Amino acid sequence: MSDKKQTTKKGVSRRNVIKGVAAGAAIVATGPALFNIAKADGHAIKIGMPVPLTGPYGKESQEQARCAQIAVDQFNAAGGMGGRMAELLPRDTKLKAGEAATRTLELIEKDGADFICGSLSASVQLAINAVTKERKKIFMSISQSDGINEAKHFSRYTFHEAMNPHMTAGAVGRYVFPRNKKRVAFLIADYAYGHEMARGFKRAGEAAGIEVVAEVKHPLATKDFSTFLPQIQAARPDVLCLCNFGYDQLNSLKQSSNFGMKEQMLMVAPALLYSQRLSGGADPYEGVIGGTNYHWTLENSIASSKAFNDAYRKSNNGMPPSDYGGYGFSGVASLLKAVKAAGSTDTDAVITALEGLKYDNYKGGQRYRGCDHQSVQDVHIIASKSKKDMANDYDLFDILHTDSANEGVLRTCDELSKLT
Amino acid sequence: MSDIPMRDTELQVSGNRLAGIVRSIARHRVLAVSAFLLLFPLIMPYEALAVNILIFGLFALGFNLVFGYMGVLSFGHAAFFGIGSYATGIAIVHLGLSWLPAILLGVAGAGVVAMIMGGMAIRSRGIYFAMVTLALAQCVYYLVYQMSDWTGGEDGLTGVKAGEINLGFFEFNLVDPTAKYYFMYVFVVIAIFLFSRILNSPFGAVLEAIRENENRARACGYNVLLTKWYAFVISGLFCGLAGSLNALHLSVVPIESLHYHLSGQAVMMSLLGGMGTFFGPFVGAMAFLLLEDIITTMTTHWPLFLGTIFMIFVLFFPKGIWGSVLHWMKR
Repeated sequence: MSDKKQTTKKGVSRRNVIKGVAAGAAIVATGPALFNIAKADGHAIKIGMPVPLTGPYGKESQEQARCAQIAVDQFNAAGGMGGRMAELLPRDTKLKAGEAATRTLELIEKDGADFICGSLSASVQLAINAVTKERKKIFMSISQSDGINEAKHFSRYTFHEAMNPHMTAGAVGRYVFPRNKKRVAFLIADYAYGHEMARGFKRAGEAAGIEVVAEVKHPLATKDFSTFLPQIQAARPDVLCLCNFGYDQLNSLKQSSNFGMKEQMLMVAPALLYSQRLSGGADPYEGVIGGTNYHWTLENSIASSKAFNDAYRKSNNGMPPSDYGGYGFSGVASLLKAVKAAGSTDTDAVITALEGLKYDNYKGGQRYRGCDHQSVQDVHIIASKSKKDMANDYDLFDILHTDSANEGVLRTCDELSKLT
Repeated sequence: MSDIPMRDTELQVSGNRLAGIVRSIARHRVLAVSAFLLLFPLIMPYEALAVNILIFGLFALGFNLVFGYMGVLSFGHAAFFGIGSYATGIAIVHLGLSWLPAILLGVAGAGVVAMIMGGMAIRSRGIYFAMVTLALAQCVYYLVYQMSDWTGGEDGLTGVKAGEINLGFFEFNLVDPTAKYYFMYVFVVIAIFLFSRILNSPFGAVLEAIRENENRARACGYNVLLTKWYAFVISGLFCGLAGSLNALHLSVVPIESLHYHLSGQAVMMSLLGGMGTFFGPFVGAMAFLLLEDIITTMTTHWPLFLGTIFMIFVLFFPKGIWGSVLHWMKR
């Protein structure tokens, strides 16, 4: 302890101690004022929205936040809940589960959020869900996941507005396989989402009597698929199911076109994303079949779609909203409808209201199933149009078929309750 | 690297009151940092951020033992943080242990991993050491990723709940943010006290001797390799504790707590605060997380602003925030 030997006689003077304490007290007194200037009116209904505003899914989640804001604006324009206005608080999760958990804590502790709605990617959803259920806050999840329905993660505070991989892949499989597509190959991104999608397909395939001729797994964010594709080609499948997402999907599609595989087999991508197709261009996607929750052309037959599209177009230079934007809008709109019905923001009252809610926010009738709070909704089977068939820049998909809202496409409550 | 700001000898500047205050802080550094952290949540916008700074400050502190005091750059410290998190999480979720054994298991787990990693890496130097630790940490990452029955894999480990904590005379719940902060605070203060004792011991002096001149230290009769290994393991234990507390804080263990990005953050926090200084890592963690928190709520272009700020620091304040403060005080 060399330090101690050198101790000077005087040490700290009393004056310095007093000064230090005074300075400390001043910091303590002004601190909260410095940082909390933006603290909003305590009476507003606050909806926290942790979404990955930056990073690879930035585009989708900024769209989700934009659409959620429309739902809030409409609620406020209609007078709120007896004059109580709603407020949306978007926060960046950076697509990381830990960051998302911190942001959710911030929203609950600092901002006093009444509800949480948001996230993209399964792991982030589960992290937010863990935080909200421990603190008894309602979490409205707006991204695909099977795990969140299962008893291990589900709680009465958890609601899932998005579709799940089981119902999406199932609907696409039920459409494709019976049309003489029995020899099936899978290209699977090696993580939870990819496996959930593949599982959904296989379940649907059992009934149709498919034969799995190839099952190839690739790591996330693969750039070069040339080592994976020949295995699939050699198996001579009728249909190839691409159980991947984002750039993986785009790259694998582009490269399989180069291999001439599109002529040999049907390409199926369970979650065929609007924004991905928009940025990827018509050619790589031409003829690809997939599933979606929403395509804006539904406005031709559904009034609520028309209303949602028009509201969006007004603030976005005539551009129509995307599929994931629809989730953002509908998740928040449902919460606010339930708040209005319950007449309060009390968690238990709003849960009861949500459970009893029959709603048509943007795509026809929906409701939350009792046992897992999964939104029962239409699943649309779509095919990507070729460039010459597109009526305008945003006319991307043909709707081939609609699996109308019914519980039959979901896993049974009994099955989910056993997954602990 | 040659200046060691926290030594009293270098602070004996007369006629300067500020220097006097700094000197007394330096002499009672554990007391000073404990007192500051005691009041800390009051000046933070919300408790979760204060808890984050506490945890990452401890993480950077542990990292700084190897980086700042021994002068060896490791890029694998995320492994200790992550294993600390996962071991604590698994103890609670799968083994049904209570919080104290779970934390101890987290620290012990990180220690074991540090022993193995240290044993394999410690003979290499400089950039090779950084690369070997990085590679080993990535091995740990993929191992944990694959063991999804135990760790949850991609989804992370959920359900890490300490819940009600009963100390016999005092009961509280970690869901209450203030209680959570002071719960963590106790562990961090104990860690800081131990850390200070280690630095003040002859062992601590040998670490700095190795940093200044490894050959000379060897010539003096010290077992350099063994000392390095000890330091690496001790550093791993501190980082493991930080990870363990993080699991209790978030109530989930995300897979990214093992990601090399986190190792990079430790380097960044140490550099930002001032490497080789006692308070530096805490100052760095505070500056890093506070800036990130404020800027991300203002703009989605936050990486641009953060990057610029880091560049300014690296270019103009190479000693880091706390290092620069000490430097000015001395003048």
